[in-house]
Amino acid sequence: MALDDFKAMQERCSNCLGCKWIPFDKIKSQRFGENCPSVCYFNFNTYSARGRFQLGLGILTKDVEYTETVTEAVHNCTTCGLCDVSCKVTRYNLEPLEHNLELKADAVKKGKTLPAQKPIMEALAKEKTMLVGKSKASRTKWADGLGLKDLTKEKAEVLFFPGCKFSYDEKLQKTAQSAVRILKKSGVDLGYMGSSDMCCAGRALQMGFQDDFKKNAEANIALFKKSGVKTIVTPCSDCYHAFKRQYAKLGLDIEVLHTVEYLDRLIQSGKIKFTKTIQKTVTYHDPCHLGRLGENYIPWNGKEKKILNQVHTWEPRRPRYIGAYGIYDAPRNVLKSIPGVNLVEMERIKEYSWCCGAGGGCSDTNPEFSSWTASERITEANSTGAETLVTACPWCETNFRNAVDENGKKIAVLDVLELVEQAL
Amino acid sequence: MMDGLRDRLIKVVGRENFFDDNKTLAMYACDESFAKSMMPRFVVKADSAEKVQQIVKLANETKTPLVPVSSGGKRYKGDTVPSVPEAVILDLSGMKKILNINRQQRIAVVEPGVTYGELLAALKKEGMTLSVPLTPKMSKSVVASVLDMEPRLNSLHQWNFIDPLRCTEVVWGDGNKMFTGEAGGSPMDLAKQWQTEKWQISGTGPMMLDFYRLLTGSQGSMGIVTWASLKCEVDTMLHKLHLVAAKKSEDLNDFMYRVLRLRLSNELMIMSGTYLASLLGVSAEKVIELKKELPAWVALVGIAGREILPEERVSAQELDIAEIAQQFGLKMVPAVNGAKGDQVLEKILNPSGSKYWKETYKGAFQDIFFTTTLDKTPAFIQAMNTMAEECGYPTTDIGTYIQPQNMGTSCHCEFSLPYDASDAKQTEQVKKLFQKASESFAMMGAYYLRPHGIWAHLQLNKDAQSTSLLKKMKDIFDPNNIMNTGKLSI
Amino acid sequence: MAFSADIYKAFEDVVGKRNISKDIGIVETYRCAAAQSSAHYGPYDHKTPKPEAVLLPGSTDEVQNIVKLCNKYDVKFKASSTFWSSMGFIGDDNAVQLDMRRMRSIEIDEKNMIAIVEPYAIAAVVQAEAMKVGLTLNVPGVGCSSSPLASTAGWVGFGPTSISMGCSSENMLGAEWVLPNGEILRTGSLGAGAGWFCGEGPGPSTRAILRGFQGSTGSLGVCTKIGIRLHPWPGPTFIPTRGTVPAYKADLPDNFKAYTLCYKTWDDYAKGLALLHEAEILFLGHRQFNMFGRDIKTAMLKILTDTDMQLCDIPELVKDPELKKVNDDMKIEVQVIIAGVTKRDAEYKEKALDKVLEMSGGWKSKFMLEKDMMDYVLLYLIRMGHKNLNYVLCGAYEGNYGLSGNLFVSAKVMEEASALKRKWELEHTDIAAHGGDSDMGSCCIIGGGGPTGWEFFTNFDAHDKASIKGTAEFFNETQRWMTEKGLGVDMGHWNQDLRKENGYWFSQEEHDAMYAKLPQPLVTVYQYKAREAINPKHLCGSYYRTLTPGKYNSQ
Repeated sequence: MALDDFKAMQERCSNCLGCKWIPFDKIKSQRFGENCPSVCYFNFNTYSARGRFQLGLGILTKDVEYTETVTEAVHNCTTCGLCDVSCKVTRYNLEPLEHNLELKADAVKKGKTLPAQKPIMEALAKEKTMLVGKSKASRTKWADGLGLKDLTKEKAEVLFFPGCKFSYDEKLQKTAQSAVRILKKSGVDLGYMGSSDMCCAGRALQMGFQDDFKKNAEANIALFKKSGVKTIVTPCSDCYHAFKRQYAKLGLDIEVLHTVEYLDRLIQSGKIKFTKTIQKTVTYHDPCHLGRLGENYIPWNGKEKKILNQVHTWEPRRPRYIGAYGIYDAPRNVLKSIPGVNLVEMERIKEYSWCCGAGGGCSDTNPEFSSWTASERITEANSTGAETLVTACPWCETNFRNAVDENGKKIAVLDVLELVEQAL
Repeated sequence: MMDGLRDRLIKVVGRENFFDDNKTLAMYACDESFAKSMMPRFVVKADSAEKVQQIVKLANETKTPLVPVSSGGKRYKGDTVPSVPEAVILDLSGMKKILNINRQQRIAVVEPGVTYGELLAALKKEGMTLSVPLTPKMSKSVVASVLDMEPRLNSLHQWNFIDPLRCTEVVWGDGNKMFTGEAGGSPMDLAKQWQTEKWQISGTGPMMLDFYRLLTGSQGSMGIVTWASLKCEVDTMLHKLHLVAAKKSEDLNDFMYRVLRLRLSNELMIMSGTYLASLLGVSAEKVIELKKELPAWVALVGIAGREILPEERVSAQELDIAEIAQQFGLKMVPAVNGAKGDQVLEKILNPSGSKYWKETYKGAFQDIFFTTTLDKTPAFIQAMNTMAEECGYPTTDIGTYIQPQNMGTSCHCEFSLPYDASDAKQTEQVKKLFQKASESFAMMGAYYLRPHGIWAHLQLNKDAQSTSLLKKMKDIFDPNNIMNTGKLSI
Repeated sequence: MAFSADIYKAFEDVVGKRNISKDIGIVETYRCAAAQSSAHYGPYDHKTPKPEAVLLPGSTDEVQNIVKLCNKYDVKFKASSTFWSSMGFIGDDNAVQLDMRRMRSIEIDEKNMIAIVEPYAIAAVVQAEAMKVGLTLNVPGVGCSSSPLASTAGWVGFGPTSISMGCSSENMLGAEWVLPNGEILRTGSLGAGAGWFCGEGPGPSTRAILRGFQGSTGSLGVCTKIGIRLHPWPGPTFIPTRGTVPAYKADLPDNFKAYTLCYKTWDDYAKGLALLHEAEILFLGHRQFNMFGRDIKTAMLKILTDTDMQLCDIPELVKDPELKKVNDDMKIEVQVIIAGVTKRDAEYKEKALDKVLEMSGGWKSKFMLEKDMMDYVLLYLIRMGHKNLNYVLCGAYEGNYGLSGNLFVSAKVMEEASALKRKWELEHTDIAAHGGDSDMGSCCIIGGGGPTGWEFFTNFDAHDKASIKGTAEFFNETQRWMTEKGLGVDMGHWNQDLRKENGYWFSQEEHDAMYAKLPQPLVTVYQYKAREAINPKHLCGSYYRTLTPGKYNSQ
């Protein structure tokens, strides 16, 4: 799609404030009722999905040009999709997230990028990772000695895809290693992509670099198909969404699971048994890309059809990504099954979870905004009284790790996998 | 000049409605308050809006202060005593038409001279009634009462603070006449409006300026209302009043808050035993007797059923409110020593006899009242007692009345000080106490919403911005400052 | 005076660099698309003018300093809290837009049932905070994404709960207001520092200048804080919900019941509503779902309570004979909620409601008694969080007709109004053909019953120029009918005398020409004088109706 394919939506957005708050039915307090980090941080209407619709329309009608401010505004969106699912409480014909992404792509096509994006895209092209300063050569060092099958040479049922964060971050490497050990011990026939392992490039799409994403995605899809795996399991929510939704659009038809889903299955079937008690009160942060953006891709090729003179419908019926069918139960089941763990919930959970701030490239392009977003979530986590914030995404985890709440207080941050390992 | 004015006034109202004899003038020169007396120059009685308008225009031309009066009999708040010399009293108490009663819309339209007794009797025939202030004087003008925002007994029916006032016809101080509220959005002709089934229901506006709110509390200093539409209520089919006694007023507050929170009851208020004694006593001796019998403090809880299942409604609320009383260690009963609920109900809902009830005990009285919140009333009560002692006024004579308002968000707090006006010492005590208490309460955060007499100065002196704005409004609606000149410090 | 860099710098010094922008993209997003959410104006295929800059003040002091600068440099200004409708946008070239979203505090005095709120404390969060202490507020019909402050200070504010709680103006207590001349006015008891509890007085009410039947819609400065009356909430500290979007339902205790009362004729309907006005049993009364249109309302209810359904299911659903029966049963209906504060109270109210139905010939829709449906309605109407379903059919809507006033007069003309709309639907293609009657509205617009406020929802496509134009033409047709019937100004035109078709504010001369013809022009003459007293430089636009005194001959 291109930006002018969204003109109808731009003109039909009604400025109802749905994109600035979680669904009103779900609001329990003023403090934790809002949904868009971008408009909350920058405050101008421009930064909301509504504002982006207006910006997009303005660009099409030439009322707006890409000034430095406009370029920054376009890119200062974590593409968390919370505006999108909130909008869908009352609208069937708007796709705010798709538009936000398309607006970024439009900016990129016109050369309107942010300085920090350049080295990221260069790293992707050269080193097959979007982590600047990391090399392809050292990508799979974390897997040494784990006995993983190299799927460029051997066959396995399941591909373990760690993603860039788990591959290169020293602390997270240990978690990835734990995940492999747990899965293997449970009898999973596990492999990895060996020297062909490379970035999912989902973040490139989030930043608007559609062509770069497509190129990398297609390469990965070819490799996955060639490997013959039946399932891809990843501990990274970004990769999860990339494969399940975006790669699926490009033809990937292999089952994609997050590690927490796999763990849940293993626990339910008795293949994982906990021997230790972990006395902790924890609260769980639903990663955007595992939760509301973790729904299945449903192919659709349709168009608008008006009935009753002016009522908009889609023909055929258009899939609605409402976020409700993302992955929420699996991580909670896992946590509840660990002896001693007491799970308390934040106000904004599941498909209405507040973003960690890392998405859309923002942890690199605007660390201050990203960190503030994380800080908001830490405040919410601390308000529950929990001692630990647990999540299932390395981007969330690293963003939370360094953040403090509004009073300067930190919270311990763990991946679900780490708690599982502690309890085994 | 006065002779010229005299003749022109006679031309408007007719000789029979013009007065310049001392006896008549003296009746308006002072009232029962401590307002400084000032003889008016003339008294005229008008019986139509057209005549009122002519008089106002004449007053503008001749820069003659006008003081509108609608109630008959004795007056008590000083607002109808001229503040400046050469004033003309414009007495509207003879305008007694009930212009319309509409049961379907529950609206009555009345002229300023209509009293509560007259209106209630007319409404009863249509199956309706009107919210009333506590036992108004017999000659009290309904219009004057609602314009003065006298507190109603059922705060839960006060969706709009100034209910039951709705639309008005007003002659502004500049001589212009208009309708306010929704009536101001249609031709200025009631009959034509009724023909199109417009019944003067909604009082705000008609546009962005809330005209009728410039009339309320204004003591006639902005304009003269020549008719008002009033929101009526369906008459009760079953109506009871219960009493809840306590030793201290604060013991009743939580009970009151809870009842208001649950939106139960019809009438709801607190009185000191002294106040209730004055209300019920038919003679000074009886008042004294009742003072001894009645509890120190009493909450009055009215419960009413109307057209829809009245018995069920009353029964449900009686039981619920009794339980609430119990939760707070109190007891709701149909009678206490000295007072029966139905007797009290009859009293509070109807006008006083020919003698205003507050005069029963000692012949004269002075009220201090303001608006506050219920939780602050104990502090005011305590302060009043302390100051009374300092002034040598017997605290056992202080009557206290606390009336929740505006669906429970605020309350009218009133101290009534009876005294014998023929006794110079008592008079001096009350004067001193009145002044002292008025000032102290202002310092304590009392809000003189209805700033009669010295309260105007006390209230507006603290509020320069409001004063400035009100002065600007006064300049608009009464540019020659002829409407009750000197009132309200604006 | 032109908007120079120096002037911009002066504003920047007030709010800080971060909170001001004149960037072309930023200001573009502060233009109202008058084809969309214009509210009683338009629809027109254009946008309102671009502000010179957008400012985000964070305090009353900042607002005051901004206004003082505006006075100094003759810069016009307008403040808005949520920008939901065209009213809050500027309408001049040399103007700045104030976005009030940084001012959002809420304080609650639980005992005295008062909330003190700033502009961006939207109704949803005020309600959420109030419910924690057993209270709630009147949420205006426009929905909980609106600002109670803006509703109280700026517009009308009647809603489903007005019957028991009053409308916004009736819930107004003390207010803090930066006047257009830069002075701060604190109204009522607030003025002398006594607190927020009383909005009247002292003596004559200062609030009288700032809002009447409708508020001053931002044309008399900026209201920065307001006290509003809260009301009892006999429910849990938050509304528990179940279900999947959009089919969220409330899990409330048994003392809450939602019913749809149905009537055979409009006469009976009026009779029923009149009885309800007097009965004091309703927590809420609102004709809500008819806004989808007479022919498809139950189909829409089916769709909205089923996650898997969409608008494309409408044609099949309306063919379903069983659903058609339900739809016919609910042709003339109103939704009500009773909320018992005690068990006995709940029982009484149930009985009383049945009595009202018996006396007025109405019945409860069985379809709407089904638990999931009732719970859907309870959540919808108590929270008013789905009001943006106004737009669900076509993406744009406008309210028209606006039968406000005598319930019995409005009821008498409903079928004719419906038929006129239906005729247009069938003879044209510019508005949704959903069955003529698409009336929605509170069962009364002021506390305790009385006048109604019924608007028809006319749905059109803001992306389709023919649809926009055709809708405007339709409103001209309905205005013609309203005028013929002596019913006043069509709701679709309520603001058309306040902002020109090209999005700019009216001049005084233009207003003079209009208001000299009013039945009582004095109203606007006094409004002129009031405006002159506090807004001598006319800095806030033309949403305050004024008539130059010289253009009117007094009686």
